[in-house]
Amino acid sequence: MPLLTEGEVLANEAVAPGHFRMRLRAPDLAREAAPGQFAMLQVAHGLYPFLRRPMSFERIFPMDVTFLYKVRGEGTQMLSRFHPGQKIPVQGPLGNGFPITPGFKRHIIVAGGIGVAPFPGLAAVLIRRFGKAPEIVLAARTASLILSEDDFRQMGCDIHIATDDGTAGTEGLASDVLEQLAPDAATRVYACGPMVMLRAVAEIAATGKADCQVSLEAQMACGEGACLGCVVESVREQEGERMIRVCIDGPVFDGTLIDWEAHDPAYDR
Amino acid sequence: MTVDLSVNLGGLELKNPVTVASGTFGYGQEYDRYFDIAQLGAVTVKSISLKPRAGNKSPRLVETPAGLLNAIGLQNVGLDAYLEQKLPFLRKKGVPIIANIYGHTPDEYVELASRLEDARGADAIEVNLSCPNVHDARTARGVSLVAQDPEAVAEYTRAIRLAASLPLFVKLSPNVVSITEPALAAQEAGADAVCLINTLLGMAVDPETRRPRLANIVGGLSGPAIRPIAVKMVWDAARVLRIPIIGMGGICEASDAIQFFLAGATAVAVGSMSFRHPVAAIQILEGIADYLKRHQISGIKHLVGAMEL
Repeated sequence: MPLLTEGEVLANEAVAPGHFRMRLRAPDLAREAAPGQFAMLQVAHGLYPFLRRPMSFERIFPMDVTFLYKVRGEGTQMLSRFHPGQKIPVQGPLGNGFPITPGFKRHIIVAGGIGVAPFPGLAAVLIRRFGKAPEIVLAARTASLILSEDDFRQMGCDIHIATDDGTAGTEGLASDVLEQLAPDAATRVYACGPMVMLRAVAEIAATGKADCQVSLEAQMACGEGACLGCVVESVREQEGERMIRVCIDGPVFDGTLIDWEAHDPAYDR
Repeated sequence: MTVDLSVNLGGLELKNPVTVASGTFGYGQEYDRYFDIAQLGAVTVKSISLKPRAGNKSPRLVETPAGLLNAIGLQNVGLDAYLEQKLPFLRKKGVPIIANIYGHTPDEYVELASRLEDARGADAIEVNLSCPNVHDARTARGVSLVAQDPEAVAEYTRAIRLAASLPLFVKLSPNVVSITEPALAAQEAGADAVCLINTLLGMAVDPETRRPRLANIVGGLSGPAIRPIAVKMVWDAARVLRIPIIGMGGICEASDAIQFFLAGATAVAVGSMSFRHPVAAIQILEGIADYLKRHQISGIKHLVGAMEL
């Protein structure tokens, strides 16, 4: 059951240019939350911005959750100005988290840019559940935007880094690295990042017959499945079932369900 | 003191005057996780069409000052799935249902209304003649919204009136020069109430990419940004109509709802605010009761059109 509650900001600090991490004391929320799920944060006391901001959980602790976020517009700008001690209305947990199921020899996480947000928490759960750290592909435009590397290293993950400009790791894309790692039928891939990256990841996974779980992002009004604002096109053919809601049918989907062709990259920012 | 919140909307008896705006509340079940939706005067469901509709391409939403633009395009499960999958939950809750219907032709509306009535799928019909986000509706005079053409409003309303005996509400568009003409047309054609207002046409452009923010280019503006327009249109319509008005448009708190009653609405619908705060509708209902007590008004009926000049 999702809750309407209030969290207390414990910390809200810049971790990279334009990127912040907020730690929120919200025991009821933390108790229910799972990696891949999200919360809606009400950043404004007044009526602008009107809507809450969906944020996936980065880490989930017994009393607290953290959010790793990029400042993109006025809402996230306001979020970045919250100080420790301030309260923030929060709704959640919402959506479906990553499936945590046995049967895979390898777990590979692929993160593009701020798409790394839900993965420290997922890695922690995978380690707890299967006793083995997942492999991590971290990709970003440039070295300063590679986030959470130390967290993953402390958890004992094998980390592969790629940057567009070659300032860290190999010069290239997350999907290039994943291809080298050759996911096979005994592999589950978890990916979050830009749609073009997710599409490439899903294709590589499909080629190797690997399971592939993608976490999508969308403009969202309600977070509850009511507004139908956050839909993506699926491969389902029936008219009434083709559009699937990121908020409640996802945000984590099997990569084979998404109609990647139908996505218009012109709207990506 | 106890206050009488009950209202009669053209034959539909409601225990209180608060419903929700179609399209902002799904089919009710989505919000029952946050509060008992049976506390509402009625639940107004997402538009139902004869066949399922996939709706528009994404992006469908963009936030704008004190509101949002949407271009959902009436994505819905279709009448059959509504009756089979959505209706049983609402009936179990026992909350009155206002079924919003959308068709391409008067015949489709007639079929929707009569099948809903036969299946006991609604307690009232809300006829959506004013969705700004679909491109397949054109009246004989080439107007893209039926609600912009008073003759078409009359034609559609009359056809549905003849086919269905359920209370009939007509949801009109603010994208008109004068709201009184389509409102009067609906009344004369047999509507039991009108719903004012649907969203205002608007658009937003991304200066960096030079592209529209919505894949549909234009969308419907909702939220507190539109409230003064809605209050004014309710007031305009109330001065010429005999039938009740269900007022909506940017209601965020009880004092907003009170404005609509004073301007002449008999009931109100909470719309986009449910997105921001899932329990908004019920808090607004409580706030209306508190207002009546504070002002020692024995019933909500006494507030309707009670604006002082």
